[in-house]
Order: sequence, then structure tokens, then C-alpha cells
Amino acid sequence: MEDIFSYRREESFNAKEGLLKDWKITVQPNISVAGWPADAGSKALADFTALEDATIIDRLKNAGADICGATKMSEFGFGIKGSKAGEALRKKEVNAELVLDLMGEARLAAMRANVFGFKPGYGIISRFGLIGLIPSMEACGILSSEVSLIGEILKIIAGADGKDFCLPDESLLPAVEIIPGKTKVGVIREAVQGLSEKENEFFTSQLGKIKEAGWKIKELTFSEYDLCQSVHNIIGAVEASSCAGRYDSVRYGKRAPGTKNWNEMYLQSRGAFFGLLIKSYLFQGAYFQFEKYSDYESACRIRKHLVREIEKLTAQTDFLITPVRMPKNASTPLSLTETYDQFAATLFANVAGLPALCMPAGENVCGIQICGARLCDLSLLSLGEYLCNQGWGK
Amino acid sequence: MEMEAVIGLEIHVELNCATKMFCDCPNRPGDEPNSNTCPICLWFPGAIPQFGRAALEKAALLCLGLNAELQPKSAFDQKVYYYPDLPKGYQLSQAHLPLSRGGWIEIADEQGKPKKLRIHHIHMEEDVAKLLHEMEGRTPISLVDFNRAGAPLVEIVTEPDFRSSYDAMEFLKALRAQVRYVGSSECSMENGTMRVDANISVRPKGTDQMNTKVEVKNMNSVRHVGDAIAHEITRQSACFQSGEAIILHTRLWDPEKKATLPMRAKFAGPCVPDPAVPVIELSAEWIAEMKKRLPEMPAARAARFSTQYGMTAEEATYLSAEPDVALYFETLIGEGIAPRTAMHWLTTQLMPALKEKKMELASCKVTPSRFAQLLSMLAQDEINANAAREVLTHLFDSDETPDRIVAARGFKQVSDPGALCSLIDKVLAEQPAALNDLKNGQAKAIGFLVGKVMQASGGKANPKMIKEMLAGKLDSYNQ
Ligand SMILES: [Zn+2]
Repeated sequence: MEDIFSYRREESFNAKEGLLKDWKITVQPNISVAGWPADAGSKALADFTALEDATIIDRLKNAGADICGATKMSEFGFGIKGSKAGEALRKKEVNAELVLDLMGEARLAAMRANVFGFKPGYGIISRFGLIGLIPSMEACGILSSEVSLIGEILKIIAGADGKDFCLPDESLLPAVEIIPGKTKVGVIREAVQGLSEKENEFFTSQLGKIKEAGWKIKELTFSEYDLCQSVHNIIGAVEASSCAGRYDSVRYGKRAPGTKNWNEMYLQSRGAFFGLLIKSYLFQGAYFQFEKYSDYESACRIRKHLVREIEKLTAQTDFLITPVRMPKNASTPLSLTETYDQFAATLFANVAGLPALCMPAGENVCGIQICGARLCDLSLLSLGEYLCNQGWGK
Repeated sequence: MEMEAVIGLEIHVELNCATKMFCDCPNRPGDEPNSNTCPICLWFPGAIPQFGRAALEKAALLCLGLNAELQPKSAFDQKVYYYPDLPKGYQLSQAHLPLSRGGWIEIADEQGKPKKLRIHHIHMEEDVAKLLHEMEGRTPISLVDFNRAGAPLVEIVTEPDFRSSYDAMEFLKALRAQVRYVGSSECSMENGTMRVDANISVRPKGTDQMNTKVEVKNMNSVRHVGDAIAHEITRQSACFQSGEAIILHTRLWDPEKKATLPMRAKFAGPCVPDPAVPVIELSAEWIAEMKKRLPEMPAARAARFSTQYGMTAEEATYLSAEPDVALYFETLIGEGIAPRTAMHWLTTQLMPALKEKKMELASCKVTPSRFAQLLSMLAQDEINANAAREVLTHLFDSDETPDRIVAARGFKQVSDPGALCSLIDKVLAEQPAALNDLKNGQAKAIGFLVGKVMQASGGKANPKMIKEMLAGKLDSYNQ
């Protein structure tokens, strides 16, 4: 198991009484558990230990959960290359995993492990104690082979937090009943374009199953769908550049030895300890900040437009269904573009802050993602459970 | 060619909140280095800034006190630059949506005419850490003190309405008075709670061109701001006249050399909207509530003093410049002291004594009620002015009431006609020349004799009665 975990709890543990008593949950080292290493998968934060529990950890512990270890992660949780998220679930070692979802990492890891991968809507879960990279896009994802457990965990960790002032004063809407003849699902035409023949065949067969069951399927057009990727790429890089500015080796993290002045120390420490993919992402962010600021402003403006467009789509239907290509296990390091391409089908939910759930995909070439309106996270999970009971995704 | 200066100021004011802007650490930068820090102001991974209400209220009051328009929506941006005084690679500041826009301060110009100097906007921002560069043996080391990191600041950016160092100094004095009134800051340039940068350019008088400006920093007093601006105007005018190009740069004021010297160009980074700190939305009700909390401002108070108490504009302005002085003054009046007596004794006796003793009006032992007791004894001729000044010195270091001090130390004025009469007779016997003058009807002798009698009484005699009695003698000799 050591190849999956970056840290395993060794100290004895007395679970509190609660709904999640004896459920084993893993985190990744970008989610603070007091006293545990929290290097966010980066050498720049090597030997950093979390001072406090993240709010979500505090709430899970109080509900009786056994936070049993941290799985290996990609640097700052960006992309899934090097991440072992989902593996402990695949091996049935644990009941759930918490994984930050910056552009779809939690969902793709889940598909790879043949479990459910859920990204909650934006502003539902406290970010206190989460070592994030793209504050306006990311949310703590939940992976489990049982969608009902995801719902239980979500209800426990969601909601206002005195330590996170950024959380809007909103609460999750109660789950609505899923009725085949009444519940409307939408398929975004542009999200289906570009599928291979095999992938298309699979996706069509899945849609066929629910049509047979009497569901209404509405075809939707979202001509700017492809812009989501550019917008995420530009805004994400700028936010990452800001977020990573604190890793200056002054107060914590690793410091390159033998440098003569602060500038040298800063450049050499960051040069030596950030990985290649993160460095290129931060470099891109700094480029937009310093050289192409107007492009960044355009990206923010376009994002607002995209959010409105996506809201129109979710208003016309109850849920959106999109295909998600199964990530390949690349042996070579991925470039920034290749990394983004992996998440082409998932990142629109991050751009718009919507809840999204990837269904277990088994050995299929392609998986299914369902997506709901903001605050409809619980209804979305109900739909996931319903479809699962119908033998979906298999 | 006659030249004219175009000057704008950027003024940082440190708000006197109990805590920092985004965390609950005490806002006391002077404490033991790095004692007032936490994961938020050190920007540990996973920390989330929590914008404090106190900072918002103090900043809003400051804006209203400067006649500025609070914006219904303002937001924090990240001012990106990399330097070890910034624990996260950017400073949280309001670059795009400031807390307030507009505003003005009225000063009296050099001819005494009122002049409005406009404010462009006021925004909030966090202070940065303090760097100390030292030597450890032969190795240079840099130390960072994060006590000041995250301290609440506002920056007041003016329009380029200033034409002289006089304008700038008057503006700063009025600004200081107004901010102290609303209670948001002490605005002390000496203590660093007010820091001023001046942007200066010159042009031929009568034109409206905006030439390349030079920023001047590092002035530690209002006086220095005036000196630095005056120097810079002279320097730039000479450059202009000789055809030398002025380039955009920053200069530091050197108070020793009394000159501005160029400094290394500053690297200005971008300002990116911050995704973590929520947008600040101010409701009309909240703004109205803040306006209600605004005290009577110095200009309004001076106008009232002048009509209500019959003071000159200068007197009224002086008394209303500091809120605690104005309050002290009006408390004395509330205790029944005549306005002119209160003003006279406050400004010519109490304030200079405080300055000499390096004490604060609010915390000294001479409370308004004790001072008022003293002044009523004076008004009722129980003591004379000499004695009152003496008693005042005792009030500073004794807790006794003024009348006890007067009784115990024998300051009571001698107003008994019999006693005074024998004193006068004694003095006249010693001063035959003056007596002779008196007999010859020369009134000028009276002044001299009053002094002598006062002296003979050890300063305790009632000078008014002596004068009257001597005048009576003069009359009786010359009937
Ligand atoms: Zn703090």
C-alpha cells in the first residue's frame, strides 16, 4: 500500500460517536490534518506540517469518521499525473477519499478507479485549511463507491464556517424526487462533438437506456463551450501565480542554500523546488499578470458570460449529461496543454461553479458526467443513485 | 519664464483599530518582533483572510470625515510584487473599486481666502512587514518583523490641485485634524501613522500642461513635506528652464542635506482582483448609520465657536483643531467659566505647560473640573492671576483640590480693605517721590505703586482694590 499513501495515521484513534462512525476516509496532503505533513505534493512545501484541522476534517472527525491517511498527489493537486487518488477505494481499503478538484481531478481519478467522483458546487464547502491553487475554481471533491455516502459526507462538511468568510450565505437545497417522466435532462451538443466512434457509441447507448425508461432528453446548444478551457487556463494560471507567491522560502518550505541575497534566494528556491508543470503554469500566470493583463480581464469578462450561458442551460433542464473521456495513463510528463486537454469535459463545471458527478465507468472508453444547477448538489446525488440503480454506466 | 508647480499627494494613514485588517492579531507594530502574528498574517498554506468590520468602520468614518462618497461596492485586489516584506507575493489593496471616491478639504490660502483641495479617491489596504538589514559578523543578514504585516491602512489620493508647499502643509494639517476628529487615526508623521508621498511637476505659469512628475518620499514631518516640495519645485524649474528633460522617477527626501535624491526605480506590478476576500457591499442604511456617527467636524465647530462664543476666526480655528482641546474648552464653559477666560487660560497657560512637560491633555491631572475650580476662584477674586499660575503648577503633580492648595499654601488674595490700607501706607512711607507725584495729581504714579504694594504683599494682594484705593488717595489729595 505504501505506493498509494504519502502518510498513514499511526497514532491510536478513538472514533467519536456519529453518523460516520468507523468509516475510513483518506485525504491528500493539501487538506490540513493537524500534525500531518501538508506539502501539497510539492518540494517547495517539503516538511511543512499542518497546524490545524481544516474545517471539513474537523467536521468529519466530529461525525465519527476515521481520517486514516493521505494519498499521493500531483503537485498542488493540479492534474492527475502522479496522483494516487481513487486507488485506496479501488482496493477497498477505505470508504471515501477527499480530493481537491481544480478542473476535474477528483472526477477523473474516480472514473479511473471505477467509483463515483463528485465535485460540489462553488461556495458550499469551507476552504479553511485547504492548500488550494485556483481559489475561484476549486472545490473539495468526494470519491466513494457508494453515492449515498458521498451525500452523507457532503451534508456533514457543507455549510457556513466562521473561519471562511468567503462562503456565501447560502445553503444546499433539499434533494428533489427523481421521476423518469418528469425530470428533464439536457445534452450539450458541443460536448458530444469530437467523440471517437467508440465513445459516441457508448454515450448514445447510455442515453438510449434512459429514453427507454421514459425520460425526456433535450438537446442543447452552447456554442462557446470550447471557450471554457481557455478561460479556465488563463484565470486559473493567474490565480495559481498569486496563490503560489507565498512559497518564497522565507517563513516555511525549502530554501536553496548558498544564495547571496533575497532575490537570488527567491529565484533559486522556487526554481529548484517547483516541478516543471507547475512552473510552466505559474510562468503563464505571471505572463498574463505582467504582460497581458488585458487578456486576463477579457477572460474574466468572458467567464461571466459563460456562467450566464450555462445557467440558461441548467434553467431549461433539471440536469446536464456529458460524456467524459477516460484518462490515459501517460508514461511521460504531460505538458500544460496536454494536462488541460485531459480535463476538457470536466472543467466547465469549475468555471461555472456547478456541482458535477462522474459515474463509475468500469472498463469503458468513456464515462458519464451529470451536472446540476448551483445548490442542487443533493438532487444531483439522488439522480446519480437512481441511475446507478438502473444499471447505468456499466 | 514664471513657473508653477502641479502637486498631488498620496497619503497612507494607519487606522487605530485594535486588530489587524484580515486577522485578530493585535495591531501593535511596536511590540516584540513577530509576537503579533498568526497563520493568516504570515500567510500559511490553508489560511483564509477574514476582513474585519472594525477596519471598515474606521475607514468609512475617515472617508465621510473628508467629504468623500462611500461606494456601494468596493473590492480588494492583489497588488503583485515580490519582496520579503510581503508574505504572499501580493498586497491586498483596492485598486479597481476603491472604498470612496471624491472628497475635499478646505484650507485658507496664503492670502487667507478659502481654497478647496480635492481628493480623487480613498482606498483600503494592508500594511507590509518591516525589514531590518543587519550584519552578523561579516555576513549581511535581513530580518523580517511581521508585526506590521496586515495592519489596516487607508490611502488618500488627491487630485493635482496643489500649487505650493504651503497648500500641501495646510492640507495635511487639516487632514490630520479631521481624521483625529472621527477617531480613525492619530495621523502622526513622526510615529509613522501618516506617511506622505508627493507627486510634483512644473509648468510655465498660465498653461494647463501636465508634465512628467517626480514622486518624492521619506518625509517624516509636515515641515519636511513642505521643505521637500519647495526643493523639488526649485530643482525641476531649473531643469525646465535649462531645457533638461525630467524623467518619471522617485526621489527620497534627505532631511540632513535638505535635498531630494534619486532612488532605484520601483517595480510596479499588476493589480489582480482577489478571489478570496468577498466584495464589500455597503447598504444605504449602513452608510446613513455611519454618517450619524460622524462628529461635528473642525470647520463646523470653528464656525460655531466663533458665533457662539464671540471668537476671532483664528482663535476658533486654534481651539477646534484638536478634538480633545475643543472638548476640554467646552467642558470649562459647561462649568461656568467665561469663554474668553477659558480660551485665554487654556491656550496661554495650560497648553504650553503640557507641551513643556510632554504630557497629553486627556491624561494629565489637570482635569477640566479642577481647572474650572481654579478659574472660578480667579473670577471671584479669591486669588489673583499670579497665584492662579502658581496653583496651576501644583495641580500637575498633586491630587488636592485647587481651594485646598490655595488655603494650604496661602495663595488667597488679600482683599481686606484694612490690611490693604496699612500696606499702602507702609509703601507710601518708603516711596516719598511717588507720594509726591500722587500729591501733584500725577496718575502715572499709580501703576508704579500698585507694583510696589503687590511686591510688599508677597503677590497676594488684590491688585484691583489697590488700584482703586490709590486712585481714591489721588483724588483726595487733589480736591
Ligand atoms: Zn495575524
